[in-house]
Amino acid sequence: MPKTEMPAGALSLMVLRVLQSGPLHGYAIAQRIHLLTDEVLRVEEGALYPALQKMLFKGWVKAEWGISDTNRKVRFYRLTAAGRKALEDEMSEYARVHGAIQAVLRKA
Amino acid sequence: MGEFWRRAAYLLTKWKRDRELAEEMAFHQEMADRRGAGSKEFGNELRLREEAREAWGCMWLDHLAQDVRFAGRLMRRSPGFTLAALLTLAAGIGVNVAAFGFFNLAILKPLPVKDPESLVRFHRLAPRNYASDLPYPAFDFYRTRTQTLSAMLALDFARLRLQGVATPLRAHFVSANFFLELGAPAHLGRLLDPSRDEDPAEAAVAVLGYDLWQRQFGADPSVVGRAIQLNGRQAMVVGVLSETFSGLTFNGADVWLPLRKQPEFVTGSPLLTNWSADEDGVDVWGRRKPGVKSAAVEAEMKMLTAELRKLHPEEGWQGERLMVAPGGYAQSAGGRNRSTGPQPGLRQQLAPIFAMVSAMGLLILAVACGNLGSLMLARGVAREREIQIRSSVGAGSLRLVRQLLTESVVLALAASGLGLWAGIQLLNVLMRWTQGPKWLVVQPDWRVIGFTLGVGLLAALLFGLAPALQAGRGLVGQRRSNLWMRKALIGVQVAASCVLLILAGLLARGTREAVTRDPGFAYEQSITVDPGLGGHGIKGAEARRYLEAAKERLLGLPGVEAITMTSTPPLGNRSSTVGGEKDGKQFPIFLHRVDAAYFQMMGIPVLRGRVFREGEKGVALVSESMARRLWPGQDPLAQWLGEGDNRLAVIGVTGNARSLALSDPDAVEQYEPWTEEDLGSMALVVRMAGSVEGRAGDVARAVREVDSVVTPSVQTMREAFARQVESSGKVALAASGLGFVALALAGFGIAGVVSFEASRRMKEIGIRMALGAKPLDVMRAVGQRFVLPVGVGLVLGAAGAAGLSQLLRKELYGVSPLDPLAYAAALALFATMAAAAVVGPARKALSADPVRSLRQD
Repeated sequence: MPKTEMPAGALSLMVLRVLQSGPLHGYAIAQRIHLLTDEVLRVEEGALYPALQKMLFKGWVKAEWGISDTNRKVRFYRLTAAGRKALEDEMSEYARVHGAIQAVLRKA
Repeated sequence: MGEFWRRAAYLLTKWKRDRELAEEMAFHQEMADRRGAGSKEFGNELRLREEAREAWGCMWLDHLAQDVRFAGRLMRRSPGFTLAALLTLAAGIGVNVAAFGFFNLAILKPLPVKDPESLVRFHRLAPRNYASDLPYPAFDFYRTRTQTLSAMLALDFARLRLQGVATPLRAHFVSANFFLELGAPAHLGRLLDPSRDEDPAEAAVAVLGYDLWQRQFGADPSVVGRAIQLNGRQAMVVGVLSETFSGLTFNGADVWLPLRKQPEFVTGSPLLTNWSADEDGVDVWGRRKPGVKSAAVEAEMKMLTAELRKLHPEEGWQGERLMVAPGGYAQSAGGRNRSTGPQPGLRQQLAPIFAMVSAMGLLILAVACGNLGSLMLARGVAREREIQIRSSVGAGSLRLVRQLLTESVVLALAASGLGLWAGIQLLNVLMRWTQGPKWLVVQPDWRVIGFTLGVGLLAALLFGLAPALQAGRGLVGQRRSNLWMRKALIGVQVAASCVLLILAGLLARGTREAVTRDPGFAYEQSITVDPGLGGHGIKGAEARRYLEAAKERLLGLPGVEAITMTSTPPLGNRSSTVGGEKDGKQFPIFLHRVDAAYFQMMGIPVLRGRVFREGEKGVALVSESMARRLWPGQDPLAQWLGEGDNRLAVIGVTGNARSLALSDPDAVEQYEPWTEEDLGSMALVVRMAGSVEGRAGDVARAVREVDSVVTPSVQTMREAFARQVESSGKVALAASGLGFVALALAGFGIAGVVSFEASRRMKEIGIRMALGAKPLDVMRAVGQRFVLPVGVGLVLGAAGAAGLSQLLRKELYGVSPLDPLAYAAALALFATMAAAAVVGPARKALSADPVRSLRQD
């Protein structure tokens, strides 16, 4: 499986987006991103957990204990109202930057 | 919930959160393992968790805890160093805590009375006059009309004889609302009650002071309800005042009586009816209504004063107004004074003292910090290895600096605690030693604690920053600048302690001068008799009759040689000044109204011109110092004082007799013949042929027989002189104590640095010795590096002392602030100490076996 470098700032955007459809635990978040990118992107644990802690700190997500599919006690992350707002902001920002890069790639 | 609160919540549950994170990560790893997908290592879990925690922005806390733990371990590991550092710093901080505690008591801390902040004190101020008291009728006038004040309080003092007791009591006559308004607690019975005791028709009542009750009445509770005889008048004791009540004045009272009854006890006193601004009045305080500013009170008083002037146009001063000052602080509790000319407030009078005390405190702190700085620096060098290791395992230089600073801060906090305790103890001892008022309780309040912490942290920065930066910067190859810094630290210690030593020397010289020098007037065989006639409304011809009769009686006593009369008895607490001016600078002139015999009897020489004749008017004598000050290089006998009809011809120049300001070499005197108006305030000075020892009692008895109403205060001038010199001596002793503490600290500091230097250069010394160097050469090689910093420190110290000692000028009894003896003695003492501090450790280095030191590492 090729390991692809993740663009800066993309991780939190993807985490937020993935959580939009409902609460997930850490491992599930990583898995979901991995699958959704057709196994192109792989979320390193070393990046995921600090990013989640940062979101907790910023109040974008809330953590609550639940039971996993494997019947283990595990922490689920749920998007907060502030998190939704942040997702919108980050998405439009991403679109803007992405558009700008595209423009360069097309025209140059 | 903001980020701040989330972070706070995180910190509170940090251990739990950390465990949760670890669990979560373990689960993640388990899942990955099961899938076999992420079969690779999960990575350093601890490092990951650390990174995750970093998201909360509180890694500093972890580091801090780590640093503090490490600092504590380090302190325990070298107890000798820790103890030396702690004691040095605690001494430096303690002295400053004591100094600040004193400042706090005198200036910042309100008196322990009810709502002290809203109390104001009134002063009368006119362009050419000042008085701290108001005529009683004026007080009454303001009191009945004021809208801005909820209450006004008045106080007057007098000396009353209690039947069967020799020494007169100090009595305070107060407005009946005084105790109630100040929330004074009664120890027994009741205090004054405004609803009855303001009424002149009620029978006289008295409240006993706690001390008097203990001393005179054997703490007998049944005294309440009993009648006592004061000045032959009856008063009923209604209660005993609590010991803790401060009142609003520094000098406490033995007994308290309603002000309205004052004329009953002080027979003939015109106090309650006298409108004149030039005679004794009452001290007045007011309580501002809630929300009313001092400026509003002042504005109202201005209006009322104008109204008052219309009713009594004759009785005021030109351009008079009432000044409103804070009333609930020790600094406003000063005694009564009045003057013509500019009047410096207590605050201005205290300013040089505070400046001096804080300068001395800071100097001690500087010495302590310099000392510690060199200790830490030396240790920093010794710890080079440890720091290198830390740096090579990845500690950034910022992290290193922070760790070293944390060590300093931990040390400083420990020393602050110790210093706080020591400083409070020191201040307590000083208070007891100087017999400060009992209610001035030294307790650390938030100001003192805040100050202590501030000084402690400042000290941590001062002594910790240099070594920390040094360690953080380059570690190796910095020895040159390290040596430079150590030299600078030695210089600082030497300079600061040198200043202290010189100042102490000057004060000691001053005290010695006070004892040995001729003060310019003969005090040894004189007894002062101050009848205080004006207080009984006795003046003019009646006063003259009293004074004549008293003179006659006293001359009849065996051993009395001569008697003279003065308005301001030498070494007394009564003074009168007029404002002098020369080249735009104003200064007070002590004014004495005397009889013609005064000069001869007091042994004050008339250097030029002549003494006035009995009854002569429009003439004055001036002291030599005044002549020199006002008319340098001119003939004083051709000069006039004042202007217009009241001007005085200078007919003589006397020797300098600073009878009211012993220690102030700038004091100048003016003598005028007494006039009819002065008779009410005249005092007698009696010269005895033999010893005055035990004669004051005879004199007091004799004058008391002259009039049953008047209670003169009688004391020998020797006593008054001894009291004053004693207090100067205490100041000098305290300063010497500080000076020697500084000297010892600096001595240890130098010795420590030199012995460190010697131990670092053991190898070099060994080689030199092995090659045949003489011990003296080696010693020179070790010591010479410190000659320059010590020398520079001495020079700077002398210069600093020369600057600071100007503040002491008025306390030195004429010893010059640049007195060569004090400087030379201090510098010599210091140089000796420094030499000993260098030679001692150097000798030790020499005695080491060269071969062994060569073999070392």
